[in-house]
Amino acid sequence: MTSPIRLRTPNPHLGAYYGIITSAFVALIVLLAMFEQLGWREVIIAQFMMVTPLLLYVVIAVGARTVDIEDYFTSGRRVPAVFNGFVLAATSVGGVGFLAYTGVLFFLGLDGLAIGLGLTCGLLAGAVLFVPFLRKAGAYTLPAFFGQRFRSRKLRVTASVMQLPPLVLLLAAEIQIAALIASLFLPLTFSLAVFLVAALVAAISILGGMRSLTWVGSAQFIAGAVGLAVPLVTVSVLLTSLPAPQFTYGGVIPSLQNAEITAGLAPVQPEGVTTDLPHMMPEPVVKPFFQSFGILGEYDFFLLFLCLMLGVAALPSLLVRSGVTRSIIEQRRSTAWAMLLVAVFALTAPALAVFTKLLVFQDIGLAPGAALPDWLNELSGRQLLKAGSANGAGGMGAAEIYFTRDGIALMLPTLADLPFVLTSLMAAAGMAIALAAAGSHLFTLAGSIAEDIYRVLDKGAAELPRLAAAWGAIAATALGTAIFLLIADTDPLRAAITALAFTAATFFPALLLAIWWGRCTEGGAIAAMGAGFSVVLLGCGVFGADKAGLYPVYVGLIGAVLALIAGIVASLYGMKPPAATLAYWQELRDPDGETIYDRAKARAAAQAANASASAQ
Amino acid sequence: MATETPAPDHAGRIRHQLRTSILAGAVLLIVLLAVISAIVNAASLNQYWFLHFPLGFYFLAQGVLIFVVVVGFWFVRTQEHIDHTRSETRELE
Repeated sequence: MTSPIRLRTPNPHLGAYYGIITSAFVALIVLLAMFEQLGWREVIIAQFMMVTPLLLYVVIAVGARTVDIEDYFTSGRRVPAVFNGFVLAATSVGGVGFLAYTGVLFFLGLDGLAIGLGLTCGLLAGAVLFVPFLRKAGAYTLPAFFGQRFRSRKLRVTASVMQLPPLVLLLAAEIQIAALIASLFLPLTFSLAVFLVAALVAAISILGGMRSLTWVGSAQFIAGAVGLAVPLVTVSVLLTSLPAPQFTYGGVIPSLQNAEITAGLAPVQPEGVTTDLPHMMPEPVVKPFFQSFGILGEYDFFLLFLCLMLGVAALPSLLVRSGVTRSIIEQRRSTAWAMLLVAVFALTAPALAVFTKLLVFQDIGLAPGAALPDWLNELSGRQLLKAGSANGAGGMGAAEIYFTRDGIALMLPTLADLPFVLTSLMAAAGMAIALAAAGSHLFTLAGSIAEDIYRVLDKGAAELPRLAAAWGAIAATALGTAIFLLIADTDPLRAAITALAFTAATFFPALLLAIWWGRCTEGGAIAAMGAGFSVVLLGCGVFGADKAGLYPVYVGLIGAVLALIAGIVASLYGMKPPAATLAYWQELRDPDGETIYDRAKARAAAQAANASASAQ
Repeated sequence: MATETPAPDHAGRIRHQLRTSILAGAVLLIVLLAVISAIVNAASLNQYWFLHFPLGFYFLAQGVLIFVVVVGFWFVRTQEHIDHTRSETRELE
């Protein structure tokens, strides 16, 4: 039964619980650092550092288990804004952002900043354009919102089918990142790691749905933040004597520029280079960090930013969390918190890339006179880089070392000669963020299959069959994605960008019209979604599968423009929306009162009770 | 799904929707303009330095992000004010 807003009080001890979790995580780091000094082997330390937090996540998920429908799909609508902000931020950044974005910055420097800007501005656009209105509607899924807005089951099923490709791509990307980390630091093959990660994410989602994802995701966010901050602050203190890497890495810029010149990095001539993001396979760095628009030109930078902004703003995995807080105001605040946290990450990532690049190229620059650095063998052994043969001078230049894009963040502690516990801490942080994002994508995908497709087929389904459908969908989706990952050769960064191009073209224009234009009709929404989805599917899937560079970005933006035009034209040339649809739209725009969905549900329950009483 | 028609305060509703739309448009426009101007001027600003950073790089890596966060929290506060003005007697929190 739905409770009124004022009765939905969050647990007052949440702060204490998460304080204890943070303390326990820090204590684990300190303990393992001590054991490392006592002679524990790196393998054992890595296993403890990776597996202990995973056990903690499972314990939290078991504690948050539920079979109540409202808890399962909306976490009881009582999550405090800050905690929802934690999970939103972890989902936006994800393992792809954590590892691949820092790698992109290492390779492209200034040109790669478009990604961080796109993520942050996407959250702002979502908060301004969509989130409060979706909170007012209160639908459990994004397709359900479309179905309720236009009173159309057809639209609901269509939207559910169209969110499958982007969410599968994002889920696959996150599971791949988590499995990559697990296979590097645990005695597991990549294939086995993929299945174990998929099973873990599925188990957490099945146990408590949105409720367990919220509380486990908050712990994963804390592990990710601590795991990123501790090694980076330590390196910052070593290199700049100050513990604020975001603001102090400017001090090492002259050293980095000198090291880059010594290692043979010259400014790139844009006309001689293909516009492309770095790939997953190891490759050398070709561009100095601070050269502006050497590989991505100004237009490509802006288009990449815009595509990511629109894609994040309309990402179903983020929008589905619009129903979990107490009120519209709380929901808006939680998105602002998420934006702040993502912005802090986007401020931090360049510092990590600069420190890593400085340490690499400083040592390489010394190599002709001194021996090759120790970290070269160590990092080669972990498959984070590949060293080519030494050049004619007996040393190595930038062109002789091939770096793995997704391993840049993991290299930093080793390069700075820090204890191994900090390397495994960075890995545990990347794993935590990837798991949080994978959980959100999996639940959004499977929840939609259960709520929007199964429930349309079986209209009178009671709570337990609905939950059973969700459990089955989660298990099947996780298994299917794991098999897909083993068959397909996917690059997590490219998969994520293609997924965001899908959401930018398919959902952004349709949501914009549905929420901000009362004249938008069911036909207009279907036309907008259909046009955007078809353009990206044909452009990226059928005709552009082998295209390199920013191709998905161009296709996604063209799709978004065409979708907007299609939605407007179809709405204007169709019949005017019925009065009930307009009334729903008016109520959606009103900040007052209880969630529309909950109120309708309570009314239906009351009518059923009255009917039952009069029958007796 | 049936919906209830709210109280007949049509003018108040129109005013609220207009103010909400203007605020949303203004926030997004300001942010887009900030990003575009930072991109367009990045190369030329890089000859100046600020807090040990090349200025063009600083704007893209930090300045615009900080600006976006400030604008975001200002938006939340202003929209809350607009919502409260619309619904003084009803439950929002």
